Amino acid sequence: MNRRSFLKSAAAGSLALGARGRLRAAPPPPDLSYVQGESPAALAKAAIETIGGMGRFVAKGDVVMIKPNIGWDRTPELAACTNPEVVGALVEMAFAAGAKKVTVMDNTTNQAQRCYIRSGIQAAAKAAGADVPFVNPRRIKKMAVRGAWLKEWDVIEDFVAVDKLINVPIVKHHSLCRATIGMKNWLGAIGDPRNQLHQRLDEAMVDLAAFFKPVLTVLDAYRILVRNGPQGGRLSDTRLTKTVVAGPDAAAVDAMGATFLEIPPAELPYLKFAVERGLGRIDLEKLAIEKRTV
Amino acid sequence: MRNERSKKHRVLQLLRVAVQAVFLGLFLKLLLGARFSGEDYIGRVEVFFHFDPLLAVATFLASREVLAFFGLAAATVVVSALLGRVVCGWVCPLGTVHQGFSWLFKKTKMARPKKAAVGGLWVKYAVLVFVLVASLFALDLAGIFDPLSFLTRTLTTAVIPAFAQAASAAIGGLYTLRLEAFGDKLTQAVEALTLNRIFQEGFFIGLVFLGAVMLNLRRERFWCRYVCPAGALLGLLGRWNLFKVKVDEGKCTKCGLCSIHCQTQASPFPNAEWKSSECVYCETCAAVCPTKAVAFPTRWKAEKPPAVDFSRRRILAATALAAASVPFFRISKARKRADPKLIRPPGSLPEAKFLAKCVKCGECMKACPTNGLQPALSEAGPEGLWTPVLVPKVGYCEYYCSLCSQVCPTGAIKELTIPEKTAVKIGTAWVDKNRCLPYFLGRPCIVCEEHCPTSPKAIKFVMAETTLPDGSVATQKAPFIDLDLCIGCGICENKCPVVDAPAIYITSVGESRSKENRLLLQFGGPAGGE
Repeated sequence: MNRRSFLKSAAAGSLALGARGRLRAAPPPPDLSYVQGESPAALAKAAIETIGGMGRFVAKGDVVMIKPNIGWDRTPELAACTNPEVVGALVEMAFAAGAKKVTVMDNTTNQAQRCYIRSGIQAAAKAAGADVPFVNPRRIKKMAVRGAWLKEWDVIEDFVAVDKLINVPIVKHHSLCRATIGMKNWLGAIGDPRNQLHQRLDEAMVDLAAFFKPVLTVLDAYRILVRNGPQGGRLSDTRLTKTVVAGPDAAAVDAMGATFLEIPPAELPYLKFAVERGLGRIDLEKLAIEKRTV
Repeated sequence: MRNERSKKHRVLQLLRVAVQAVFLGLFLKLLLGARFSGEDYIGRVEVFFHFDPLLAVATFLASREVLAFFGLAAATVVVSALLGRVVCGWVCPLGTVHQGFSWLFKKTKMARPKKAAVGGLWVKYAVLVFVLVASLFALDLAGIFDPLSFLTRTLTTAVIPAFAQAASAAIGGLYTLRLEAFGDKLTQAVEALTLNRIFQEGFFIGLVFLGAVMLNLRRERFWCRYVCPAGALLGLLGRWNLFKVKVDEGKCTKCGLCSIHCQTQASPFPNAEWKSSECVYCETCAAVCPTKAVAFPTRWKAEKPPAVDFSRRRILAATALAAASVPFFRISKARKRADPKLIRPPGSLPEAKFLAKCVKCGECMKACPTNGLQPALSEAGPEGLWTPVLVPKVGYCEYYCSLCSQVCPTGAIKELTIPEKTAVKIGTAWVDKNRCLPYFLGRPCIVCEEHCPTSPKAIKFVMAETTLPDGSVATQKAPFIDLDLCIGCGICENKCPVVDAPAIYITSVGESRSKENRLLLQFGGPAGGE
């Protein structure tokens, strides 16, 4: 199935859902929102509104952690890190929903200062009022991951000691797991030697996704990385797709993300593991997806 | 008796201490500023070095190049000619450190000078001659003794790392005391300074510094008196300066306190023996004099200054010794064939020119964002001691960073823009198939490919088939290096999961600065050729 035929069926599905919804007093939110438009911040806002608003995920007084991908020393137009405007908009929305504290952080691959600054994420998140600390080695603790394969690992405490965790990955090509989206993003919430997880990367990603359990995954597909991943390096490695997807089902969001790279979700071993472990659904044609343009 | 001391000179003394503190603070501020600031280009944080006439002369002699940025050293020359060695006494940060320790040792009675010291002053002039003559042979030893290089190197590779580790341990104590919020705050503050903590010779360089400091127990400002070639040069330049110590014979009680407490053995008493080339104008002699007999009147009239404590015979001896020493520095194999581990920072000149210009100050090691630049021990031969080498296991060369080239005070690392830097090849990556997981164990990995920063990536794939003990065959993507694309940054070696001896590693071959250390022939092809 290619992306176009999938979108058609998805649109049909959401129409059907809408029709059903009209019979009831309050229509249930869709499984996924799929919003296209020009401004990354506006896309993020519309995507969250469409799935029921930030109030559905963040309660008053919550301590919130937002996990973008800040892994690389690359500027936003190279699509190696999450779009800073998307991150900024999410911070604003979390505060508007009553969050007491919002933190944005990542365990970077290149020098942390360079990644935080040159990705634009530090500035955008701080401007919206978030804390944007660097990883503090003293807050990395061995934890029981209790995965199917990964039993225990060093985890950055900040990602665990919060009320709500929001994952904000960007869609990128990756030579080993083919697509690095939401579940791969959790490698930025753990300690070293995380590179050794490449030996069974697909299983490790799913085990980590099950461990962290984000309440919401927001997919930045504004500008995606289609080759030379996961860091690209040239504008020609990217593609402007101007979309943000959001939903509480981490597997469904990643499945949708795979379609941007023209990979049928069922072809990705890690998504198969995710379904087997009951983390969510990847049968996009059967999901309720609400599509909007802003 | 105390009331008889000169208030004016006491004030001058305190003013001098204040000026020293300001310059030391400025020096430290600039040194700490040699790091990624958020901007690609961080400005001239190495500017202190450009005021240093010793480095200006030695670099000129060794490289046979006139370097415009050393024009600032003319200011130091003019100031010294007019005012004597005030730069030593009031400005030099290493002088301040030595004087601070000397003061401390005297205050704590660990050093108790009882009579004026004599002799030995000629040694620093011999060091100066030795350094300059060696420079003529393109052997750059200036940086070993130059005070700014000495202090920068010591702070970068020993003092700052020790401080950072101590700070980290102290912050750890806060966590034990359950003061986590405070600990987090301090951790973030220290993190923002990006202090490099690991240096392969930091301990040794620290010991050298400790030795230099402890010598102040023997004589106040021992380094400045007997060793410093920059001080010697300024002394020679300042011999005919305007301020000359005058002891009022009528008031003098011949107690000798002025000469006992003279920081640099300039001997204000007896007045006829005062040495204009030694005095650093610290004002101590005038301030300690119990009868206000010592003063520094300005005298325009040319007056034959007392002879410098350095005979023609010793000049000749130092010259001969230096000339005879040069070949010994070159017995090493370093000049015969390139050392595989001699991976120079991007922008480094060809090795012979690099060695002629590098003053081993370590400023590049301070600026390196990954801590990868390390002081060499034997990789570059004896004359390359403490010159920078990239050790990818410690830190790789950050793709979009050219800080080392920006902060190099002598241009041994040519200043590069970011686009220029990304095109420079500093070495080549090699795969050890006997350790690489896909090749040897048939397991997936390719962490190296993931981290390769070039586009297209220099690490490509081959499908490697590995026969396992049970007879089955594992097929995995395995790394294959495209030597035309590899820039030798070393991130693959740094991130390789085989942590002890990485299965992918960098050697210097193929570095774009060298015509000899080449590998791929480029007949008529554009890539990599010159």
